[in-house]
Amino acid sequence: MKHVGFSTGAISLGDFEQAIRLLHDLPGDAIELSALRVNEIGPLIAALPHLDLCRYEHISIHLPSNFSADEEAAIAELLWGLPRSWLLILHPDVIHDFSIWRRFAGRVAIENMDRRKSRGRTAEELDRCFTQLPEARLCFDIGHARQFDPSMAEAYLILSQFSDRLAQVHVSEVDSQSRHAVITYAAELAFREVAHMIPMVTPLILESRVLPEQIPSEMRRAFNLFRPSIFAT
Amino acid sequence: MINEQWKNIHIARRNSAEMLDKLTKAVAHLTASDTSIVVSGSLARFELTSGSDIDWSMLLDGSSDPRHYQVFQEIATAVGGLAAKDVGREGTFGSLVSSHDLINYIGGEGDTNSNTTRRNLLLLESCSVGSDEAYHRVKKNLLQRYLAEDSGIWRKEVSNKLPHFLLNDLARYWRTMTVDYAYKERTRGGRGVPLRNLKLGMSRKLIYVAGLLACYQCHLAFNDEERNAFYAEKNVPGLVALMHKTLQQTPLEITACILRRFPIHESASLQLFEAYDLFLGLLLDEGIRAHLEKLHSDHSEGDPIFMRAKKIRRQFQQAISEIFLTESSELGRFTIRYGVF
Repeated sequence: MKHVGFSTGAISLGDFEQAIRLLHDLPGDAIELSALRVNEIGPLIAALPHLDLCRYEHISIHLPSNFSADEEAAIAELLWGLPRSWLLILHPDVIHDFSIWRRFAGRVAIENMDRRKSRGRTAEELDRCFTQLPEARLCFDIGHARQFDPSMAEAYLILSQFSDRLAQVHVSEVDSQSRHAVITYAAELAFREVAHMIPMVTPLILESRVLPEQIPSEMRRAFNLFRPSIFAT
Repeated sequence: MINEQWKNIHIARRNSAEMLDKLTKAVAHLTASDTSIVVSGSLARFELTSGSDIDWSMLLDGSSDPRHYQVFQEIATAVGGLAAKDVGREGTFGSLVSSHDLINYIGGEGDTNSNTTRRNLLLLESCSVGSDEAYHRVKKNLLQRYLAEDSGIWRKEVSNKLPHFLLNDLARYWRTMTVDYAYKERTRGGRGVPLRNLKLGMSRKLIYVAGLLACYQCHLAFNDEERNAFYAEKNVPGLVALMHKTLQQTPLEITACILRRFPIHESASLQLFEAYDLFLGLLLDEGIRAHLEKLHSDHSEGDPIFMRAKKIRRQFQQAISEIFLTESSELGRFTIRYGVF
């Protein structure tokens, strides 16, 4: 399936096991295990030995979008023993101590942020973060980039400047309230402007909040946008 | 970037930086991610003199909220306390402006004189105070429209990569300013006409020059190989990013940055900046400025101060003609081919 899949948070917010079950019989060889709230990360790590993830060629974990300085080291400790190939998606605005994440090197991918945040929205702001984490990679959220700048000029700058760090792409509509939603036609038009800058091998993780019956069509939409030649065959 | 010898330019830049600092302290807290305070005119050009007004507007780019009007009134009070004069009487400034009209009404019936003016000044001479998110977002969306809908620049067989849609709108705006000059003379009488005449031939003309040069950047920013690679695909976001970066500079900075790459025009470029420095020197002198503001067009021809100003304006025009109306470089060739007819 060329590394396309869903975030468990998009399918069933706060219930990764239910999301994995719903995705079981559907196409997709990539998955993001979402632990957006700090109290979700412990149970997720504890459950990993019992989860059936063998069909997935690309696995990432979305770390909590908010945690205190006291919780930071403990979260990092929980993650250290995970398989090295799993990508850890981290929001730049939650980092309190960069040295904690520096030792993860390329296992951590910094995600560009939406309009609500004060850090990590632009190429310039991301650059400050990568200066602190020189080996970290990029999780490019195309919906966030479009919400921040619908002209897609900022998306272009991020993809040009950090092409060598690009490790994963988050795909969804991000509305004016910063909610992830089903990709609209207007978003499709904007995404097409920079789709050619995303290599075919880069894993795509859909974050669109969909009903189970919408999963195949949303996946097809992403394929049309970012893997057009594969979809054609 | 701009030669230290032009002391008036430097004084005006320092004045502007100080005023923007005061404005930021006074109104930055009234902005948000979907509202920006946009400043135009001499302050945005970094050419503030003691007699300058502060042209500003509150730009909305997000959810409509009736309370925006109260915010707007707070801003008006705060800016009024800092400005030397009230904003212009045409209603173009000191107002609430929606991004929708700026972006969607380019040409056609909906493109009023005020809309044309606000849109062109947003690109050519503007800066923001406080939160700049809405300001940059709207500016980039506006550029996106001009560049994505340009019928020539993306065509393979077109070798001169110039944004015709944008360039034509800037040229139209320059002509609009010249027509409005005549309109103001008719509606306001002859008092102050000599000063407006001087501004038209200097600062208004400068923004057209800077606009043309910014358009030429679409071609000049690349060597042949880079240009072929860049334009091989319809890379609108890349071009928006380039133009946005260029237009973040003041008109004098854009002019200096691009002209310095043409040693063939060094002498004319120096003449252009020297004339502009002398022009700002006149406006910085409170006595001269007050004299020109009161001077009636009927008495201007024999007026020694106006004669001095006219000489400066002529020097500026000669420099522009030498750079832009001769075929000795791409600047002249582009202007003759695309900026005139």
